[in-house]
Amino acid sequence: MKRLTNYWNGSWLLSIILFVGILAGCSDETTGGNSDNGAGENSSGAEEPFEIEIFATTFSTNPPGNDSPVVQALEEYTNTKLTFNWAPNSNIDDKFNITLASGDLPHILYVPSKTPSFISAARDGAFWELEPYLADYENLSQANEMILDNTRIDGKIYGIYRQRSLGRNGIVYRQDWLDNLGMDVPETIDDFYEMLWAFTYEDPNGTGVDDTYGTVISKYEGPWNIMQTWFGVPNKWGEIDGELVPDFKTAEYREALKFFKKIYDEGLVNEDFAVMDTTEWTKPLENGEVGVFVDVLDAGERARAKIEEQYPDNPDPIRLLGSVEGPYGHRALPTSGYSGMLAIPKSKVKTEEELRRVLTFLDQLNDEEVQILAGNGIEGRHYEIVDGEYHSFTADNEGLLAEYESLNQIMMFIPVDKVLAATPNELKQLEAQILEDNIEIVVPNPAEALISEVYSKQGQQLDTIISDARIQYIVGQIDETGLDEAIELWEKSGGNELVAEMNELYKEAQANRN
Amino acid sequence: MHKMHNTPLGRVFDVFNVILLGLIGVATVVPFLHIIAGSFATDAELSRRSFFLFPEEPTLGAFRYIFSTDAVVNSLFTSVFVTTVGTAVSMILTLTMAYPLSRKNMVGRNVVMNLVLFSMLFSGGMIPTFILVRSLGLMDSYWALILPMAINPFNLIIVKNFFQQLPVELEEASKIDGCSEIGTFWRIMLPLSMPVIATFTLFYSVFYWNDFFQALLYINDNTKWPIQLLLQQLVTVPDMNIGELDESFYEQPRESIKLAVIVVATVPILFLYPFLQKHFAKGVLIGSVKG
Amino acid sequence: MADKAITTAAGAKIIPNVMTKKQRIKRDKWLYLLLIPGLIYFIVFKYIPMWGIVIAFQDYSPFLGVFESSWVGFDHFKFFFTNPDFIRLFRNTFLLALYDLIFFFPAPIIISLLLNELRISWYKRTVQTFIYVPHFMSWVIIASMSYVFLTTSGGIVNELLEQFVGRKFNFLSSPEWFRPMIIGQIIWKEVGWGTVIFLAALAGVSQEQYEAAIVDGAGRLRRMWHVTLPALRPTIIILLILRLGNFLDTGFQQIYLMSNALNRSVADVFDTYVYFIGITQGAFSYSAAVGLFKSVVGIVLILGANHFAKKMGQEGLF
Repeated sequence: MKRLTNYWNGSWLLSIILFVGILAGCSDETTGGNSDNGAGENSSGAEEPFEIEIFATTFSTNPPGNDSPVVQALEEYTNTKLTFNWAPNSNIDDKFNITLASGDLPHILYVPSKTPSFISAARDGAFWELEPYLADYENLSQANEMILDNTRIDGKIYGIYRQRSLGRNGIVYRQDWLDNLGMDVPETIDDFYEMLWAFTYEDPNGTGVDDTYGTVISKYEGPWNIMQTWFGVPNKWGEIDGELVPDFKTAEYREALKFFKKIYDEGLVNEDFAVMDTTEWTKPLENGEVGVFVDVLDAGERARAKIEEQYPDNPDPIRLLGSVEGPYGHRALPTSGYSGMLAIPKSKVKTEEELRRVLTFLDQLNDEEVQILAGNGIEGRHYEIVDGEYHSFTADNEGLLAEYESLNQIMMFIPVDKVLAATPNELKQLEAQILEDNIEIVVPNPAEALISEVYSKQGQQLDTIISDARIQYIVGQIDETGLDEAIELWEKSGGNELVAEMNELYKEAQANRN
Repeated sequence: MHKMHNTPLGRVFDVFNVILLGLIGVATVVPFLHIIAGSFATDAELSRRSFFLFPEEPTLGAFRYIFSTDAVVNSLFTSVFVTTVGTAVSMILTLTMAYPLSRKNMVGRNVVMNLVLFSMLFSGGMIPTFILVRSLGLMDSYWALILPMAINPFNLIIVKNFFQQLPVELEEASKIDGCSEIGTFWRIMLPLSMPVIATFTLFYSVFYWNDFFQALLYINDNTKWPIQLLLQQLVTVPDMNIGELDESFYEQPRESIKLAVIVVATVPILFLYPFLQKHFAKGVLIGSVKG
Repeated sequence: MADKAITTAAGAKIIPNVMTKKQRIKRDKWLYLLLIPGLIYFIVFKYIPMWGIVIAFQDYSPFLGVFESSWVGFDHFKFFFTNPDFIRLFRNTFLLALYDLIFFFPAPIIISLLLNELRISWYKRTVQTFIYVPHFMSWVIIASMSYVFLTTSGGIVNELLEQFVGRKFNFLSSPEWFRPMIIGQIIWKEVGWGTVIFLAALAGVSQEQYEAAIVDGAGRLRRMWHVTLPALRPTIIILLILRLGNFLDTGFQQIYLMSNALNRSVADVFDTYVYFIGITQGAFSYSAAVGLFKSVVGIVLILGANHFAKKMGQEGLF
């Protein structure tokens, strides 16, 4: 008998555990259901706050919840009741795909990029097409046409982009080293080369020891892409006589690669760049080993802060350039101009009336008051303004910062970023200036909005063939013939189909526009 | 074994063995010591020195920072809860299922074994499981982190084989003493299986502790994130388009803070093994009767 | 009455085959009861989601769901097998898996045998605890440390090699070092963790067997060979068979982090390929098809190995 009791104890425990588990879950389900009803009822009454569920990403480990006074202020301003589902940015693709696949979508869905899964869902009618409505909203109507075009799928707009600076790529360099060497700020590619050479061989830091070199590059290939643009290489696709041609099939591409090989052979770039772990990439710049860093401009201020930390007597050694002049003048590689978008699923937002309510909310998020709420917090609690100067209280107060930190992830900054900032230092001012100037010289990708079937299936493989060949050429593993072979392989592996398809799409798009 | 007589050659072997294993021990633990040292170092030092075991200016800044909000403490609580309850559930389910499967003359045993084996190799994938968990109403529940992975078929098969190795004589003896199968399981088999129980308690605990993916899928409420998801968020370097990365990425904590979170997320589970080690010697019977 | 019952019970015990199926089921009813919770688990959490396998034969659109998505038959498999990279991917995956089996699989066994010979118990416990620490370190950290140690520009390993051997080695960039490096990292990370299960099995080896061996005049090595190793044999065989089930699984994260433009020719494996196609490009059906292919290979290997083990007189999986 005793043995039996023992057994039953175990079994009951298990059943109870399972049962309780399911119960606990059920209660969650009910709350989920309520928000649906709430939305339905409230859309008719004007006074009641409208319930909105938002899927957004976060870089933080501690994103704000409904107990945050900033979220409460935001709800009050927009007359909404918000529920955030924060998706960790570390695995955003997985989380996004599973959310999409589950069919249980929120009112506002953050879309990290135009992935095939998003494209096919949009084509299947999962999201509201927003273009007809945008004009009715004060801020949204001012969206940038070029960026809007970049977000299109089959010519339609399914999400409102989160604006980011187009001209963010540039050159970060050590002005103090240039001064030590008595050199001028580089203007042309040749000057740029001279700078790298001098930083490597002419003891720019005056230690008398050979402890510096030109520029550091890691496994991440962004710097090569930025630099090749100066030579006149198109941004992924170039238009030659009305035909789209991939960037690596241009003569300029070969010129750029010869330059890369030269700076590598002469030791102006770190020898191990092809294998360097990206987490180690910025360290040589921060430690004063390297004088040039080709990347996003904001890397400059980050490096400056680190240098100042280590060398307090050298607080401001960094300056920035948008580009250097090549055979085609100044050219800069743009970013896509947006970082994901906010889409509105039809499964949750069922009527046009509800859609307009959600769009009103999105529009309000671009109001100056809301931008400041999300980017700076509440005056008096998170910051103060004294004599027109902005002072944040959150620098050493993680808890305070956590009350609003991730909210900038639902901001679209249309038409412009209105977040308050402390009076910028000289470097930051320069950065802002170059970001603006770069807009004039960025090279758009004519095929940005085209969606190729071949690319969505094989794009990754195709891109890798070419980018690997570039690295192998630079380090001397293959020569020009090897490059040609790689291109041939690319063509045979689906590249030819890709070019044909892209050109067809391009012509279609041109025809539609005219 | 400790008092065994030893030949000169045996003594040479002993010395060699002690040195070799000592070296292996050092080689495996040193990188982690660097992480611990780094968590007490300043960021300037971390960026200047690529490897060190003693920080020049030790500081508690990183730990003060990570404990300045509730996030890490909350997540540790979630991890401890899920690990404890999850391991208990998993052990109960695995042991109760493995025992009948170890009885060779049970009707239908092979059918069940095939079922287990097949599910180990084939799975419906992430989406169907997600839809199932959601329709069971487990979203945002800790049970979603436990139930979908409650039995690891791999572990089940090994436990079953351990049971199979237990001598039949014991079982028969217990039956003659009037025990039912369940009595035999509870009173004879389990006490003899302490090393197995200790091993799989460790396996399941470490699994639950280290898992972040279940939480990523099933937990939307960030106050219920386990520590590993926080860690994932801090150490992952996005692989593509670094140039297009949001500036917010760079506003994330500094190097020393990441290392401090690694320490906080790893040290608790490291203590489990030494604690369980003593049970490894208790079930002296496995394999003994066979010889 | 009582006497008769006992005789029957005893009779059944002596010749169990005489019992009908029904009788046996009735006899084992308590065992079935024990089986039920686990069985429910497998049916609910493993078999109900099995419908997901069919998406390998569809052009699955998450939004449309499995019923609305269109069927494409074996198209994804055809595309996969006719991919110009298929041979290379297969070769790379197969070789890595093979190296893993040859070099990594025995490593924990050897270390367990050595640990078992340690006589100072605190030392043994300390080493045991140390060697299992790397299991808890993420590949991101290990990859970054590997770079710091192994780079030809100032990495400590290459500095030392240059002093003692006179030259540097391109561990990180040359294709011929890729597989040794990957296996080396795996051994370093997982060898200690792998010993746990063997040490548990060794806990059961009785003193008498060692003593008997000593009486027979067996030295240390012969005792290891004739007593300790046989005690581990059932565990080794089971683990080996199970390992074959996911033979083609290579650690995606590790390989992804350690591969670069210069060693990609040997570093591309099924898992990295599927990652880019499946997760970053969201091609659910295609990655399901590749996964199915790997599973089929796994089940063939596992059944083959099980059959072979039984033929050799060993206890198989079941």
